[in-house]
Order: sequence, then C-alpha cells, then structure tokens
Amino acid sequence: MSRRAWLAGSLAAGGALIGCAESIPKGRQGVDLWFSYGGKNRQLLERLVARYNESQPAIWVRPVFQGDYFECLAKLRTAVAAGAAPALSHVVGEVVPYLAEAGVLEPLSDYPGAGELDFVPSLGQAGTWARGAARPLVALPFNRSTPIAYLNGKLLKEARLEPPRSWDELTEAARALGSRSGAAPRWGFECPIDWWFWVALVGQAGGQIIEPNGELSLGGEAGAQGVLLWQRLVRDRLMRPPPGRDYNAWEVVNQDFLAGRAAMIWTSTAFLRYLEENARFPVLAAPLPKHTRRAVPTGGTFFVVLRRAPEDEKRAAWEFLRWMNQAEQSVDWATGTGYLPVTKQAVSLLETRGYYQEHPNDRVAYDQLEVAMTWPWSRSLFRVQREVIQPRLEQAVLTGTPARELLDEARALARRELGSSEVSPGTSSGASSGRREVAE
Amino acid sequence: MSLLRPRRATDPLWMLAPTLLLLAVFFFYPLGFAVYRSLFRWDLLTPPEYVGLDNYRALIESGELISAFTTTLAFSLVVVVGAMALGLGLAMLLNRRGAFAGFIRSAIFSAYVVSWVSVALLWMWVLDSQGVLSAWVSALGLTPLDWLGDPDVALYSLAAVTIWKIAGYAMVLYLAGLQDVPPVLYEAAALDGAGPIARFRHITWPLLRPTSAFVGTTSLIASFQVFDVVRVMTQGGPVRSTTVFVYAIYEQIFMNLRVGRASALVVVFFLMLLGLTALQLWAWRAKRGAS
Repeated sequence: MSRRAWLAGSLAAGGALIGCAESIPKGRQGVDLWFSYGGKNRQLLERLVARYNESQPAIWVRPVFQGDYFECLAKLRTAVAAGAAPALSHVVGEVVPYLAEAGVLEPLSDYPGAGELDFVPSLGQAGTWARGAARPLVALPFNRSTPIAYLNGKLLKEARLEPPRSWDELTEAARALGSRSGAAPRWGFECPIDWWFWVALVGQAGGQIIEPNGELSLGGEAGAQGVLLWQRLVRDRLMRPPPGRDYNAWEVVNQDFLAGRAAMIWTSTAFLRYLEENARFPVLAAPLPKHTRRAVPTGGTFFVVLRRAPEDEKRAAWEFLRWMNQAEQSVDWATGTGYLPVTKQAVSLLETRGYYQEHPNDRVAYDQLEVAMTWPWSRSLFRVQREVIQPRLEQAVLTGTPARELLDEARALARRELGSSEVSPGTSSGASSGRREVAE
Repeated sequence: MSLLRPRRATDPLWMLAPTLLLLAVFFFYPLGFAVYRSLFRWDLLTPPEYVGLDNYRALIESGELISAFTTTLAFSLVVVVGAMALGLGLAMLLNRRGAFAGFIRSAIFSAYVVSWVSVALLWMWVLDSQGVLSAWVSALGLTPLDWLGDPDVALYSLAAVTIWKIAGYAMVLYLAGLQDVPPVLYEAAALDGAGPIARFRHITWPLLRPTSAFVGTTSLIASFQVFDVVRVMTQGGPVRSTTVFVYAIYEQIFMNLRVGRASALVVVFFLMLLGLTALQLWAWRAKRGAS
C-alpha cells in the first residue's frame, strides 16, 4: 500500500470514528435521543427505535448512549447550557421538578393526544406531578420500576423458607440462608446502601421524606428505624454492604447474587429479566417486607423533551413518545426488561395474554404499586438525595455512627442549605403510602 | 551571539504569540473564569447568583476542603514514599546487564504504560473482599481486610495500586541515576573496607539525591492529580474516605450540579499545584546544579 493510500484510508477511518453516530436519512426529521441504559436494556431500546424508524417515513430517531443516569444528566445539563441539547432524553424522577422549575423542560400537555395517555397513576406521578396537580405535564413515564426482593430459589427450598414478609422475618431468613464458613462463604442478604432502598424502609416504618405540609422531615423516627435495621444486619454479619457507590454498588449486588455469594438481594425490578436469564438457579421475586406497613418508592426514569430544541424536532420527539406509549411497545419493553408497563392499556394487554400467569415474577412489582409512594414535587429532592442523605447512609452503616444523630445533622443541613420552603406545600402527597392507586 | 539578538524589539513578541495565544485561550481564560464563577451560585441551568465568598466559606465550614486536602495529602505521601522506595529498590536489584534483567525491567515498566482504567479494573478483581488477595490471606490463616470497603483501609489500597503502577517510572529514573555513579568510587570505598550498607549510605544515596528530588516532586504532582483509580474503584467512598481533591471537584460539578463550589475548589487546588510546581522547579535546579 502506498503511503498516500494508507493516509487516505486512515483519514477515512478516523472520520468514521469521529462521526460514528449514524446519519439522518435524507427527507426525515431527525431527533436525537440521549439514553442511559446499558447491556440488554440498551439492545432492546435500540431495537424499538429501529422498529419505529422503519414504521414510518417522516421521522428518524437516533439513540445516543450517554453513560449512567447521573452521567447522562451531567452531559444533558452541560449541553443545555451550551445550547446543544438533544430534543429528547430521559431523567430520574427525583430531578424532574428541578429541571422543570429551571425552565428546561417542554410542557407537553398541549401536544396532540396528550390527554389520551392513560398512565398507571402511581407510575405517572398522578396527583403530585401530573393530573390533579396544577402544573403542565413535563415528563412521561417510561422505564419505571419499584425495588423488589430476589431470592435464590434453590437455597430457599433447601432451607424450607418462604420469602420474608416482615423485617423480623427478613432478619431470620438472612440468618438461615447465609453461611460464613466453608470454601464459599455466602451472605444471607445484600442490598445497596442507597437512598432508594432507604426511602422504602422509611415508608415501611410508617414515615415519609417530605410531609404533606412541605416540611422536610426525612421520615422522623421512621428514618432512623430504616438505618438501624441496616446497622443491625451489617453488625451481625447477616448483610453485606456492597463496595462502591451509586450504580457500581448495585452491580456488585447483582453479581454476588448470580455467583451464589448472596442468597437474597433487594434491587430494582429492572434487573428481573437479566437475573432470570443469567442465574444458574431458579430466581424468585418477592415484594419487599413490611415493618408497620407495606411501602415502596417508584424509580426509574421519565422521558423529557428539552424546551430549547427546535420546534420541528420537539414535535417529532412527541410523535415518537406517543408511539412508545402504545400498548405493543410498552409491553415489549416491560416483558423484555422487567420494568413496569406504564399504561393501563399495556397492563390489560398483558393480562389478556395470560402473561402474568406464566411469569409470576413479573407480577410482583406491579402488585406492589398498591403500596407505592409517589414522589413529591420538590426542587430540592435530588440535592437531599445526593448531598444530604446518601453520604450519611454510608457513614451510618459502615462506621456505626448513631442513626438518629446523623439524621438530625441531615435535617439541619437540609434546612440550612436547601430550605424546606422549596417544596410546594399541598401538592406533595409525598409518600402517600397506602393509597390504592391501581384501583383508580 | 549577534545572530541570536532580535533585530527589532518586537520580534520576540510575535514569535511568542502562538504559544501565548494557546495559553490564553486554554489556560488563563478558563482559570480566570473559574475564579469569577467561584463567586457565584450556579447550576448551569438557572441564572448565576452572586454570593461573594460564600462558596469558599461553605467548603471550609462543611469540612469538605480540609477533608479533601488531608485525604489527598495522605494519599500522596504514601504514594511518593512508596514509589521512591520501591523504584530505588528495583533499580538497585536490576542495575545489571543481561537479557533476563532487561526483560524484568521492561515487565515492571509496562505497568506504567497501561491505561489507568485497565489497572483499576484488574485491581478491583484482586482486592474484592471475596477476591484473590483475600483468599490468599485467608489461606495463610489470617483475617483479610475489606480492602476497598473499609473506610480506614480503602485509601491505602488505592495508594498501593498507584505505587504498583508508577514504581516502574521511578525505577527507570533511578537506573539512569545509578549508571551515572562512577564505578571507581565503589572500588575505592571497597578497598577502604566499606560494606554494602556504608557504600549505599555514603556514595549511592548522596549521588542519587538530585534524581530522588526529581522522582519525588513528579510523583507528588501526579499523585495530587489522581482521579481515574478513584472514579473506577471506589467513587470517592466508602464514606468519602477516598474523596481526593480532583474527585471532589468532579463530584461537585457533575453529581451535585454546583459549579460555583467546584470552581472554588479548582481555585484552591490551582494554588496548591502552583506551590508544588515551585517545589519542582527548585528540585530541577538542584539537579542541574548537581550535574
């Protein structure tokens, strides 16, 4: 090969690498979708997008992977500031009020067909963000989840146990299922020391993070109870606090479960399909146990349209979102991943097809929605999560610092730094646990 | 000499202009902008709000500044001392001819060339509480530590990984230094009855001092800028025990969306690095003076 040919080849290859995002076909309205799913969920999303692009001649959606939720959010924010944001992305629920109040999100209520979207109420944040709350629709639920328990079916059978239904039973099951001796020690229980699971514990102990009057209570005594449970389990070596932070710790939990190093874990329903397909033992999903009551938060992300995107891109993004929310796509997404079907239509389609009879594990998260707590409309919520709670949970569990002391400190910090006035009173049904929303 | 003298007084200026322009655009402007932004509360989305020195005050009052500083300092001290000691030890062992020594030297140096992320992933596997190292320690009948999960241990685990990676670099510099030591000095000392320890103390170490100063300052600066191993292996945890300076900046801006506070950290960090650079210049001069 001559040097010139080699140079030309290298330049072409370099150019292809730099511009590795596919180009928009001529005559189509392009829409960039920045997303955060990895692995199996990413493949499924890309397949759905490809199906959409083939299904019609006018719009071309281009999915761009941007790292995990927090990395994607950081990039999105920087892109917004630089005026280079995509038309479409998805963000965790806790950050939606913050972005909306910063004027970044496009109000979607007046787009064609917005009124017809029949979201499962707790997944669409009915009452606090959408319908019933006097503010426009700014976020559409897409990959929505609840935390659930996963158990190693083989070990459970050997120990002749049922999935734990209360905190006491959880402790006993962790004791019975763990084994600290032998060549392959095993933890009875493992759960990321993460805000999301702590919110579940607070709800189960009868508390809520933000009171209906807007006061940031962090659950009061219930907040401490949640931390104390973790502290006891870790102290008695019944639970492994996974190393790493954020999603790194979640990944450790999954891997420990799959490798048989943990008998029972709490994590998102999002990993249902992944765990089922990769475990060499039967995987049993179970609802989280109760303490004084049953309660779980919802998680996952919402699709958002960026306000500063060009009008035709926003309209195209909306068309894609409508298509994604049709029952068929919603069902494919839910059954392929483990995330919840977000529209009532999708739920009835799954029921008609007898899907839940065949896949009882998939039913667990959906049934848990009966006791789901909706997130309040609070601009500070993600700051409370990241700066106030998350570091203190880790501290309490790993160093044994008294839980009540840490939560007092957290409340003082939250009030000083953030001000509880940032929460809109009245609209925060904040953890209205116990509402039977599915019956609506 | 007259050829080197500029014909016009302005000649040096335009010759320096390209470099000055690059420095201005990519260094002075961002730095000035960081200083300016450190006086604001800003999340990139809503308009910035002037808060004076509040960001600095908050960093001091919350203990974040002192914690990032002491964490970084502890990490750096362990890394610098460890890398120098290991580098010197390896250099003395491998300062000989032969293909085998050459192979070992290359093998050790190769760690320095490998990407930080690969190294971090490899060591995560080794240092997991149920990983290889813990299995070996258990096999010896000892109780393994939770290398990355214990707040009292994690920082030193990261320091050990960093030493493992950069010791090859220190070794190469020390090898060059050792080869500069005239063999006649050792011969004369041996004739005078000096043993290996005395020869090291009175010949090798004093003559390696400029090299040591150089190795010390460069690894000090490199260890102050540590980020990759922290990002991959511990994300600043457990309980902030590995939140070094650069990671704290990253966390403030990208996780907490606090540009002002991150900028304040940048300004303080810049001043610290400026001090370290002065130290490095001094060490360079010492080396040049000695040679």
